[in-house]
Amino acid sequence: MLSLWRIIKFAFQDMIRNIGLSFMTVFILVLMLLSVNVLLVVDTLTKEAVRMVKDQVNVSLYFAPDAGDKDIAAISQYINEFPEVVTVALLSRDEVLSSFKERHQNNSEVEQALDELGNNPFGPTMIIKTKEPGDYKKIFTALDVPEYASLIEAKSFDGNEDAINRIQNITNRIERVGFGLSVLFAIIAFLIIFNTVRVAINTQRIEIGIKRLVGASNWFIRGPYLVESLVFTIISVGVTIILVYIGLRWLDPYLAVVFPASFSLTNFYNSHILYVFGTQILSVLLLTILSSVLAMRRQLKV
Amino acid sequence: MIKLQNITKIYSTGTIALRNLNLHVKPGEFISIIGQSGSGKTTLVKLMIAEERPNKGQIEIGEWDITKIGSNEVPFLRRQIGVIFQDYKLLPRKTVMENVSFALEVAGESSAHIQKVVPQVLEIVGLHKKSSHYPMQLSGGEQQRVAIARSLVHRPKIIVADEPTGNLDAINTEEIIEILKKINEVGTTILLFTHNREIVNRLRRRVITLHNGELIMDQAEGKYVL
Repeated sequence: MLSLWRIIKFAFQDMIRNIGLSFMTVFILVLMLLSVNVLLVVDTLTKEAVRMVKDQVNVSLYFAPDAGDKDIAAISQYINEFPEVVTVALLSRDEVLSSFKERHQNNSEVEQALDELGNNPFGPTMIIKTKEPGDYKKIFTALDVPEYASLIEAKSFDGNEDAINRIQNITNRIERVGFGLSVLFAIIAFLIIFNTVRVAINTQRIEIGIKRLVGASNWFIRGPYLVESLVFTIISVGVTIILVYIGLRWLDPYLAVVFPASFSLTNFYNSHILYVFGTQILSVLLLTILSSVLAMRRQLKV
Repeated sequence: MIKLQNITKIYSTGTIALRNLNLHVKPGEFISIIGQSGSGKTTLVKLMIAEERPNKGQIEIGEWDITKIGSNEVPFLRRQIGVIFQDYKLLPRKTVMENVSFALEVAGESSAHIQKVVPQVLEIVGLHKKSSHYPMQLSGGEQQRVAIARSLVHRPKIIVADEPTGNLDAINTEEIIEILKKINEVGTTILLFTHNREIVNRLRRRVITLHNGELIMDQAEGKYVL
């Protein structure tokens, strides 16, 4: 217990008396963590943007004006059973007509044509949203059966199949690139942190040698560096959290212009705070400890 | 109490640093070990503190064969032998008091014991008024006295001094030798590795002469004859 207390005391003594090196170590760790968080923010925004785009894409089924309610209900139930389907919304004939009139309210010719027809020419419309744009093909295939042929006048994408495929390809590519960048960043972060800690320890190799000659055990020498790793980790993650939240508070109002009101980066971080910063604390701690141990192996050979 | 039997040390480059060295040191002796550069003095110091291992032979300190100790026992050995180096080897970011205390802290001594012993030892070497100074704030002679104080705190039976006056002027050299003589008077064995002719001739103690890794002369009241 006494030795542990002394190890902690030596660690703080070393950090304070070598304040320049301590500051640089924390500074580099903070830079690395900020880079990782920037990547996380970009990844989150990308995913949200992709989700928004996918949300705009839906399928409309235009039923014949004489399609019966029971048949339409049966089709609705059938489609709802697909696991790929998120929502199914049904617009009645009257709702379709109102919507049509509203879209063409400034077009007197359309209004005149409707008056001449007298009856509502429209059938009900079913709007289907699926999880992925590519799922629409499955729905279309499922509906392409003889018993529905007389009921369904037309099917369409809001957008077309090519656009859907392009979106799918782009989102897949974005996710792959994002993953690749994350891995690359993790490797760069590891190498930089490893070298930073190694340099810090190598500058103290003479001191380590003296401590060995005076009779300090390997753990008595190693201990303060491990404590320093822990302290540097806590300080760097703490500073990063503060800077990240300041950045998010600044960024969120700008993002509100583009993204829906329900989305904010601050909320995202709040709801994932343990995972995001817990992972970063553990990663930095492991990296700094591993770097200390590897850097000191040579110095501690008898 | 120190026995070196047939010690041979060959480095990986093929250099034979020590060759069949035999030496017996009685408790309380003050021995000067002299030799030109490359004679094996530094290697002998390293073997005494187990920083190197001999290729052949045995080194016994007390009842302990230090050529067979495990790496985890080396710190214990070094706590029992006081070592003084030419370049002082003080921890630059610790004060005088902390440098000397460190030698006791590594051994797990209590804070109360450290606070009692360290001031006493600093007084012996005349540095009790500079206990809160850092090494860079001291002269060469003062730094060497701190190193001596650090080597004394464990009350070792042996002190190995490797060219302790190599970087000092004549006055400081004289002071350091006087301190070593005083330490020897209370029963501590001193092994002084040096190539300072005047020190050796003035001491008139046992002189071991090394040449090309071999012990070529052992004089009871020797002189520097190289």
